[in-house]
Amino acid sequence: MTAATVNQAAELSIRADAVEVRRASLWLEAAALQQRVPAEQIARLDICLNEALANILAHGGHSSRQSEVQLHFRVHQESDVHEAAVTVSDSGIAFDPLAYQAGPRPGTLAEIEPGGLGLIMMKEAADHLDYERSEGRNQLTFTVRWDKAADNRPQA
Amino acid sequence: MIVAFKLREHPDSMSTDAATIVYEDTDENLRTISLTGRLDIQGTEAVGNKFAILSASDKHRIVVDLTGLEFLASIGIRSLVSNAKAQQQRGGRLVLFVGDNASIAKVLKTTGIDTVIPMFADAAEARKAALA
Repeated sequence: MTAATVNQAAELSIRADAVEVRRASLWLEAAALQQRVPAEQIARLDICLNEALANILAHGGHSSRQSEVQLHFRVHQESDVHEAAVTVSDSGIAFDPLAYQAGPRPGTLAEIEPGGLGLIMMKEAADHLDYERSEGRNQLTFTVRWDKAADNRPQA
Repeated sequence: MIVAFKLREHPDSMSTDAATIVYEDTDENLRTISLTGRLDIQGTEAVGNKFAILSASDKHRIVVDLTGLEFLASIGIRSLVSNAKAQQQRGGRLVLFVGDNASIAKVLKTTGIDTVIPMFADAAEARKAALA
């Protein structure tokens, strides 16, 4: 069967404020559970969401607080492959995380740079990252995929 | 591959799922600091000061027990790194004990932190390494 199904699952708007990050995680978890997204994939989306919001808070500048951060969650199924995606839209300074090139791994504690960890984590956690700048907003989408067999896998 | 991820029994429990920190001075030379819950922005801010104070001991080597940690964001990793640096600058050592917490171990490996802060699945090995 090749029929594709798209569920426009959930949307949330939050302030660009540290206290809103956990509310966003709660929203994501509830929306994903409702769509029967496996726990492992929710955890991967949660990492991406936390790091995306942390980037906005740290680097988005004054303009990021001019309007709310919009979150959009959706799931998609085609044949036996499922995917869930979150788009984070903010009005902050233009920033394309896909253009970021991680430096060499640190060899000592002293060599660890304070930045860049979150982007490494996002790239590792997501199966696909997509960025575009549209109408004065950053639009970052992270996607995770899993096969149907994972639906029946027991949770640890 | 076995992926360990503990789903909360109650999905709405995250808001009260604040990070917690407890410690035990196992002997006069060794302190175990246990972090549980979520080290996201909110959780790290909640325990960060206490974590720094407990880690900044001149008398103790430090084992950080992450076996009960549910979530580790980059801000939490930076907290681990800064406290490991502080111990090192005192001539001490801070090591990580992850047990069978595969999801946290994976994050630490992904970011390369395990190569600069020793990470152990075995508690006895972690204690031994901290005191070496």
